[in-house]
Amino acid sequence: MVSNNLQVDVLVVGGGIAGMQSALDLADQGYRVALVEKNPSVGGKMIGLSKVFPTLDCASCITTPKMSSVAHHENIHLLTYTEVQSMTREGEGFVAQVLKKPRYINEDDCTGCRSCELACPIDLPDMENEFGRTAHRVAYIPFPTAVPQKALIDIDQCVFCGKCIQACPANCIDFSQQPQQIEIRAASVILATGYETTPRDAKKEYGSGKLRNVIDGRMMERLLAPTGPYGRVLRPSDGKQPSSIAYVQCAGSRDLTLGVPYCSRVCCMYAIKQAMLLSGTLPMADITIYYMDIRTFGKGYEQFYQNAKAMGVEFVKGKVARVTEDGDQNPTVRVELIEENRVVERKHDLVVLSTGMLPGTNTETSFGVPISPDGFVSIPRYHIAPTVTAQEGVFATGTATGPMDIVDSIVTSGAAAAETAAYLQSRNIHPAPEQRLTEATAAGTAAGTAATNEEANERSLAYA
Amino acid sequence: MPEAPENSIPISEFDTPNSEEPRIGVYICHCGGNISDTVNVGEAAGALSGLPNVVVSRDYQFMCSDPGQKLVTDDIKEKGVNRVVVGACSLFLHEQTFRKTVERGGINPYLYYHIGLREQDSWVHHGHPAEATDKAIRMMSAGVAKARLMRPMNNIVLTADKHALVIGGGVAGLRAALSIARCGLRVTLIEKSPFLGGNMARWDHVFPTEDAARDLLHGLIEEVLAEPNITLHTGAEVVSAKGYVGNFELHIRQQRRGMAEDFGAIDEAIAACPVEVVDHFNFGLSKRKAIYKPYPGAYPANPTIDWEHCTKCEACLKVAPKGSIRLHSVPIEFDLKAGAVVVATGFQPYEPAHGELGYGEFPGVVTLPQLERILSHDGPTGGKLQIGDRPVHSMALIHCVGSRQVDGIHAPRPDGRVNDYCSRVCCTASLAAANRIRERFPQVNIFDVYQDIRTYGRGHEEYYTRASKNRVTFFRYLADDGPQVVAAEPGDEHPLLVRVKDHLTWGEEIELPVDLVVLAVGMRPSPVEDLVDMLKLAPGNEGFLLEVHPKLRPVETAVTGVVLAGTAQGPMNIQESCAAAEAAASKVVVLLGRGKAELEPYVAMVDPERCQGSGECVRVCPQEGAIRMETFAENGKTIHRAVVTTANCNGCGICVSACPSRAIDVQGWRLDEFEAMVEAIAGEIPSAVPAGTPVLEAAK
Repeated sequence: MVSNNLQVDVLVVGGGIAGMQSALDLADQGYRVALVEKNPSVGGKMIGLSKVFPTLDCASCITTPKMSSVAHHENIHLLTYTEVQSMTREGEGFVAQVLKKPRYINEDDCTGCRSCELACPIDLPDMENEFGRTAHRVAYIPFPTAVPQKALIDIDQCVFCGKCIQACPANCIDFSQQPQQIEIRAASVILATGYETTPRDAKKEYGSGKLRNVIDGRMMERLLAPTGPYGRVLRPSDGKQPSSIAYVQCAGSRDLTLGVPYCSRVCCMYAIKQAMLLSGTLPMADITIYYMDIRTFGKGYEQFYQNAKAMGVEFVKGKVARVTEDGDQNPTVRVELIEENRVVERKHDLVVLSTGMLPGTNTETSFGVPISPDGFVSIPRYHIAPTVTAQEGVFATGTATGPMDIVDSIVTSGAAAAETAAYLQSRNIHPAPEQRLTEATAAGTAAGTAATNEEANERSLAYA
Repeated sequence: MPEAPENSIPISEFDTPNSEEPRIGVYICHCGGNISDTVNVGEAAGALSGLPNVVVSRDYQFMCSDPGQKLVTDDIKEKGVNRVVVGACSLFLHEQTFRKTVERGGINPYLYYHIGLREQDSWVHHGHPAEATDKAIRMMSAGVAKARLMRPMNNIVLTADKHALVIGGGVAGLRAALSIARCGLRVTLIEKSPFLGGNMARWDHVFPTEDAARDLLHGLIEEVLAEPNITLHTGAEVVSAKGYVGNFELHIRQQRRGMAEDFGAIDEAIAACPVEVVDHFNFGLSKRKAIYKPYPGAYPANPTIDWEHCTKCEACLKVAPKGSIRLHSVPIEFDLKAGAVVVATGFQPYEPAHGELGYGEFPGVVTLPQLERILSHDGPTGGKLQIGDRPVHSMALIHCVGSRQVDGIHAPRPDGRVNDYCSRVCCTASLAAANRIRERFPQVNIFDVYQDIRTYGRGHEEYYTRASKNRVTFFRYLADDGPQVVAAEPGDEHPLLVRVKDHLTWGEEIELPVDLVVLAVGMRPSPVEDLVDMLKLAPGNEGFLLEVHPKLRPVETAVTGVVLAGTAQGPMNIQESCAAAEAAASKVVVLLGRGKAELEPYVAMVDPERCQGSGECVRVCPQEGAIRMETFAENGKTIHRAVVTTANCNGCGICVSACPSRAIDVQGWRLDEFEAMVEAIAGEIPSAVPAGTPVLEAAK
């Protein structure tokens, strides 16, 4: 049971890759951190990805160790399934009211054995992680690598049959659990509230989300992920293995009709990456990327793009005007081939909309921290202090401050940690002394290791 | 018998077999398909379960995840596993992860061994599942063989200097220094040139805020100057470096400025100087004197003498107050100790070859940085858009000059490679300049010749839309069919022609008559070969310095304690450089904040009983101060024995191979461990144990 009052040096709001990185960088310095995540598991959007550009590491291999670290770090107090409701300035610090939602299991006792899940008779579509393509039980652990490995019960769908109670070896199911109000006092705050993707039904030109074989980039990530719904790439309408796949770039970015004038920065690279992965899993498939500009600007990204071209991915300059479908639900793309000066309609088996990034925070949920007209957290000293918000003591990182990829999110999160630490120092708040290093020193000396030259000299003199 | 000198670890202690019987846990990771798509992980785990001392052998989808790690910690606690072998990705990724895991489980972190099944097996044997599985079993068997012999070890913990050296006084170096200092560490910032600010000081206005670059820069410099934890040296560079995290020793050489701090007669002295040289601050567009400051508000405010060009004619002495100028050019040298080094050496603009798109051939062809100087009010034209005396009415911007180059089309660099990367900033910087020109000089026509417009950042796309509104005309070229710049016919209104095959109008050949051609040149790393050698850093294919891993350790180098800030690592804009610099600061504070640094214990150890004092080890050792001969007295005789200073030893093992009496071993990598591993790899492959054998527990 978590105490109703927490006092920390830093409150990090958001347990995606950005929030976790900031939390770890500060906790490693010795600051006490509360990391609050609204979902039942940390990991954010990244844990749902397949492999990540430009290294093609599996996303889990980068994310899950950090998820594990935030859960086990002695200086991090992790609160999942918890939402920040309000945050006010009090004196020199902040008081946040957070609500820990009931999991209907006793978190301290749950071992993550999944007996409840296996016993539960009701399947629900997994909307949160698999976009409805798989099911989870009413009593469930969100996904295999979730942190913490604690079950929760979707109480609205529960029929109270009691099977989970019978099955649970730890006796930790508790239907009477209530939301817990927790007050967190923090000297500083980091907003790592992330992003949302363009809703799939946003554009009527692309079928308003009604065309079954028009999916978005995050769904394709799941199809490509080893933990995904089918373990291979199948199109939704009929389970056919697609032999022609098209990407529609800027489906939600650089689009004034959606009120999104900006570039989302990641879509070119994720589309190219998916195209490469698809070439691996479906070697015979034709893959086309319809684009306005290819923006592969990061370190190693241009080379990644050229590799995809060399692998046979077709790049067509042209903004897709419309996506329709034929009687077999094959999506048809209408596009002006700019290089050839003609408008064509091309049929594909599957169309992927490279949807963009929308702000994850709005003026109502940013706790009074000013937001820019583009919807992302306002950064007054944009160039020199890229993580310092307009409110003293509040910092922002990752996609809360605008679209960015994982590499940039991680770097920015290091920056937010540096700014936060400097701010805490200026408030005369210093890191707590660390135990482990001291013990290690003692062990090192006991083993008779001559750690430095001086030390070695000193000792050898005694024996000379 | 000589008494073992206390300053080496008696090897016999380590040779004592562990009293406990090895109980080995073997774990094979699927790596989300990276391994399991090629290696039959279940079969491998089954085969390994039959090896002696193996008490549990599992495969799991993501060993590095929390549930995966829990398998290990649970086996340690419940099955008494006391040695752990993990077959997964490269140990560069997750060795640290699993060390923490086994430590959390309650055993020494060095009682775990990592096999790189992904990089060394599944990735390289893609398409050969049977052979890859066989190899995986052999590799893992070798790990098991080593695990039987592993001994507990402790990290070497050293006192670390809570002091960082930042190399480079551009915006990234300044930003890193400020952030580190504000976290309570001392910082020394050295800048090679006599003035602070790097490339940013040469820029006019910066996107996406259109702030004057110098306003931002000077604000930052003022903050740095006001920070008591920061010591600043301009005209200073590292000439030698040694040491390791927590204890780097650096030798610095600093050029003298040649004038007193409160020197007053700046203008008079500059006017009096008869020497004129090319002004590199203005990218060669103007001349300056041998006593100079690059621009009026430069930091430090004091001018400096350019010793390379000063003739010591003493003309300046005649107009300056007595004693305020000293024509004494011998540099100052001093030593510095630092716990960490931040490399913020920045970039230099790509310098087009003579004749590349008319550069150097026609005066009307300039680079984008040169254009920024032309647009600056303290630049060579005082802010007027003109070439020589000729005002500009029509101009073309050509993107990707020195970036996104294609092998076989562009001339390679001396190392044989082309600049195949995107320089990230030039698109938005070009469009920002185009808009400024259209708004300041509305009569100027602008053609923009590009491949892809990469206005990716927050507030960048607006420059593209604004440029369209400002009636900048766009032409798109393809990399293998780029534009050409040629002289116009004599008598034509505009002296230059840009020929472009425009792929926005299906390959139409278009000629653009212009007065000015601006080449949006990319970024090249500053020449830092010396520093790379001294600090043992690794440049990547592009020439920029290499990070350990772009996501796991994006600002750290392979040398612990040396971190990267800004464009030394790759093209970035100012905001991105500052973010990277602050991330680097974070790493420095984590490393040094405790005043202690930890080193891995992979160091050489001498067995004084076996050592015959041949001195071979000292002769072959490449590390200064790592091993030396000491004199001891034995039965009235003087004998020599090798002694290792662990902090200086990098565990390379050359001494091990040189020792004629096999008296040296590297802790954690002893010869008997190698021998056991080789035997296991080359020996009989363990056969699969039938399914259902109790020791094998299939993971869910």
